[in-house]
Amino acid sequence: MKILVPVKQIASLDDQFEMRDDGRDVDEDYLEKDLNEFDHFSVEEALLIKEAAGDGVEVVVAIIGDDDSDDALRTALAKGADRGIRVWDDSLAEADGTSVARILAKVVEREKPDMVFTGAQSSDFGSATTGMALAGLLGWPHAAVVSNLEYKPGASSAKLRRELEGGLEEIMTIRCPAVLSIQLGINQPRYASLRGIKQAKQKPVDELSLDDLGLGASDVEPAFHVRKMYAPERGKAELITGSAAEQAARLAQIIKEIRGM
Amino acid sequence: MIPDHNPQDITRVLFDNFPLWMLVTFYLVAFGAIGVFLYGVWAQIRKYRRGTRSGAWSPFFPRFGTMFARVLDHKTIKRRARAAGAAHQFIFYGFTVLFIGTSIITLDHDITGPITGLHFWHGAFYLFFSLAMDLAGLSLIGGLIYMMYRRGWMKLPRLDYTRPDRSPDEPDYDRSGYRREDWAFLWALILIGVTGYLLEAVRLVWLQNDPAVWDYRWWSPVGALLAHLMKGIGIVPEGAADIRMVLWWTHGILALTFIALVPFTKVKHIFTAMGSLMARDPEAKRRMPTADVEAEKIGFSLLTDFSDKFLVNVDACTKCGRCHEACPANASGYPLSPRDLVLSLRELANDKLSHASMPEGPIEVIGTEVNMIRPETLWSCRTCAACVEICPVGIEHLPMIVQMRRALIEDGNFDTMLQPTLKSLQKSGNSLGENKRKRPRWTQKLDFEIKDARTEPVDVLWYVGDYASFDPRSQKVTITFARILKAAGINFGILYEDEQTAGNDVRRIGEEGLFQALAEANIELLNSCQFKTIVTTDPHTFNTIRNEYPEFGGNYAIEHASSMLERLIREGSIPQPANLDYRVTFHDPCHLGRINGCTEAPRQVLQSMGVDLVELGRTRDNSFCCGAGGGRIWLPDPPELKKPAELRAAEAAEIPGLDVLVVNCPKCLNMLEDGVKGTGNEGNFRVLELTELLAEAMGLDGAQQKGLDEAPETAAVSA
Ligand code: SF4
Ligand code: SF4
Repeated sequence: MKILVPVKQIASLDDQFEMRDDGRDVDEDYLEKDLNEFDHFSVEEALLIKEAAGDGVEVVVAIIGDDDSDDALRTALAKGADRGIRVWDDSLAEADGTSVARILAKVVEREKPDMVFTGAQSSDFGSATTGMALAGLLGWPHAAVVSNLEYKPGASSAKLRRELEGGLEEIMTIRCPAVLSIQLGINQPRYASLRGIKQAKQKPVDELSLDDLGLGASDVEPAFHVRKMYAPERGKAELITGSAAEQAARLAQIIKEIRGM
Repeated sequence: MIPDHNPQDITRVLFDNFPLWMLVTFYLVAFGAIGVFLYGVWAQIRKYRRGTRSGAWSPFFPRFGTMFARVLDHKTIKRRARAAGAAHQFIFYGFTVLFIGTSIITLDHDITGPITGLHFWHGAFYLFFSLAMDLAGLSLIGGLIYMMYRRGWMKLPRLDYTRPDRSPDEPDYDRSGYRREDWAFLWALILIGVTGYLLEAVRLVWLQNDPAVWDYRWWSPVGALLAHLMKGIGIVPEGAADIRMVLWWTHGILALTFIALVPFTKVKHIFTAMGSLMARDPEAKRRMPTADVEAEKIGFSLLTDFSDKFLVNVDACTKCGRCHEACPANASGYPLSPRDLVLSLRELANDKLSHASMPEGPIEVIGTEVNMIRPETLWSCRTCAACVEICPVGIEHLPMIVQMRRALIEDGNFDTMLQPTLKSLQKSGNSLGENKRKRPRWTQKLDFEIKDARTEPVDVLWYVGDYASFDPRSQKVTITFARILKAAGINFGILYEDEQTAGNDVRRIGEEGLFQALAEANIELLNSCQFKTIVTTDPHTFNTIRNEYPEFGGNYAIEHASSMLERLIREGSIPQPANLDYRVTFHDPCHLGRINGCTEAPRQVLQSMGVDLVELGRTRDNSFCCGAGGGRIWLPDPPELKKPAELRAAEAAEIPGLDVLVVNCPKCLNMLEDGVKGTGNEGNFRVLELTELLAEAMGLDGAQQKGLDEAPETAAVSA
């Protein structure tokens, strides 16, 4: 019995930053890297199933990223995952959700997990596509924003609850194996102490290239391309006060300013 | 001195009139008692050795010497309790002299006499011996009576066994056994003393016709007085001989029972307190124990993780309650009393480690079962070290608490509110969840540039610290300090965004792995910079860099801002500040005052401004923690409990006409401002940092500060 948990290293931003010279992303210097917030919950959910089963459940975490992303992978391992997989190729620098899903589909083929838990989305780009695309590529059922899960290792179906708009909830049964995108708050993720993270170095991590997975650079072409990233001008608002005449005068002045008169 | 007698005859009868069976019985009982004593000692040592080895008693001789001096001068017992300390000293010296005296008799009668024929217990020696023993008895009984008065009538809260960490209906709540033991101990010693005197008196009455005895009776003044009284009520020599027999046995059995029970009762503190004092680590309040973060496990979760030293520690507690009284957690109703923590560990050890064989399986220490330490107890601690400071027998509660916290952190067993803080520390090196790059943002509010110590040499490297960098209130102080340094012409710099928290609180919350990583990174950075000394306004940072970094290879000269300011004023780099017409009081930060002994510099700075300084009730080494330490500033205080800072604010409010409560630490500032609000004292007095007051006296006030009260500019984006 095996659960695969794909995780991502995300970047968080200070409130003062500068853009990269090509204007397509933020300058690396202003970013702090961390394990995706949502992935703390998906990893925890897998670990809870593993611990409840006592024995015989393996939790494998997978990450698509360069050696920098080892930190995020090790955080997940420190929490108690058994093994890690890291896939990287320089051609992946601009990978999007679907390219990542293609790689993960190959990882699933290799690992043959019984379940795949992804985070509901990444907290930096938030496109929430990876889980869905992976399920599509595998032909597995998929459930998004899962906020409660009842699943016994090896069972042929799982019962889950999903959050819908407007405070509605939906309870459903899903055929297994399946890809579940896990929502925040489904559990209380544990803390990985720094000592645990360091010691997780001793846990096995398979480092794979695209080649190892039988993929070429053309297989992982992103579906979209960022043309420009920028901080929009802040909108302005002004509360006009005074007598009706004063207000009218101010309004006229503003109109003139905007029309450049 | 002994005009008409052969000195050989001036001595005391021992076993005269004893039939053989009685003599044999006595020796059997005596050897039995010594046997029980020795067995007990061995069993206790076996218990201690079931902990890990600490090596805390070496080097033996210097440690023994220090301990011996403390035992003789009673300094630690007299501290903040002069009367009790003096009474204890009377008991101690009385007991010791009586013990030595009795040993001399044994030596003469059972060892040197029979073996070499050498007898010395007679003549002038005997007379002085008699006098010494009589006075020692007075000293002992006098001290004991005071202690009885103290326990029975003074109703001191510290001697009350009410405990905050259990509710009365829990099975291990009851400490009345200790109360009974305390009284039994006092009574047993008093009875031994009183029967000794009576015994002496009846012997005199019995032998009143022997001038070699009677003529010298005043060498035992108390005994002689009692003998005259006995004669007065009509006791004759024959009757006295019978009474003597009864008293002799009563006194003998009492004394021998006492000896036999030493290792099993409170009496053992005679030895355990000495063992504990000898193993005392003078650094215990400043430096938390280092741990191998690569090892299999970290921290204390099992009783067998405790070292032999800590097991002796918990056995040495005399329940004097000084730590209980000093502890801010206990005072504010949190479920922690350092005394009860120690006593629970003691009972757990007695229960699990003192039998012939060890119980099967691991002996968990942290949990909710009988005598276990509860996680909420451990999280209540503020690591203020008030307990370690005042314990007369050198018990080190704080390192034990931190060690147990390490196990809790490793286990993820802590308030979920702490998790974002720890993650932020891992990711960004600060506890406030802020981006690294934001750390030096406060410098933008200055009208001058601070040097970048990473790229140019400076005289003084200013380690700013977390709260001083990010907390809006503390930032004002930080800016003020920068301006004072500039005004004093100091060549100083900061580490800008590369500074991370020094890790004092990280270590004390129990995240040792993270602490060591921070320490190593900070030391590497500091070592790559050129500077002469470090200064910081944060006592926590000060403590850790000063006392904890050397272990990781970081040896720096570091000053707290208060000492630096005091020096700058003294040397004239800061012109003599103007006099401020305020009545102020000063709150010593734990990590500066008690823990590092820096109590005078801030007061001298205050003095230089001519303010009227009125001391708080608890000051200097007895300062009362604001409640922020040990990572508690990251944890919410339950609303139903009083905050330590509120107790402190109320204490300050008792000073009539107080204008300013002066603090000297960013965390104290944060806590005590809240405490002042929480107690409704906002309109009565202000809370200010020493630095701010000095700036006012120097005429560097707010007017010159650029946009201090404006919100910091956000998003200065250039796309
Ligand atoms: S360190 Fe302070 S808060 Fe902690 S137990 Fe000791 S006295 Fe109490
Ligand atoms: S631990 Fe020390 S200070 Fe506290 S009650 Fe025991 S002997 Fe007294």
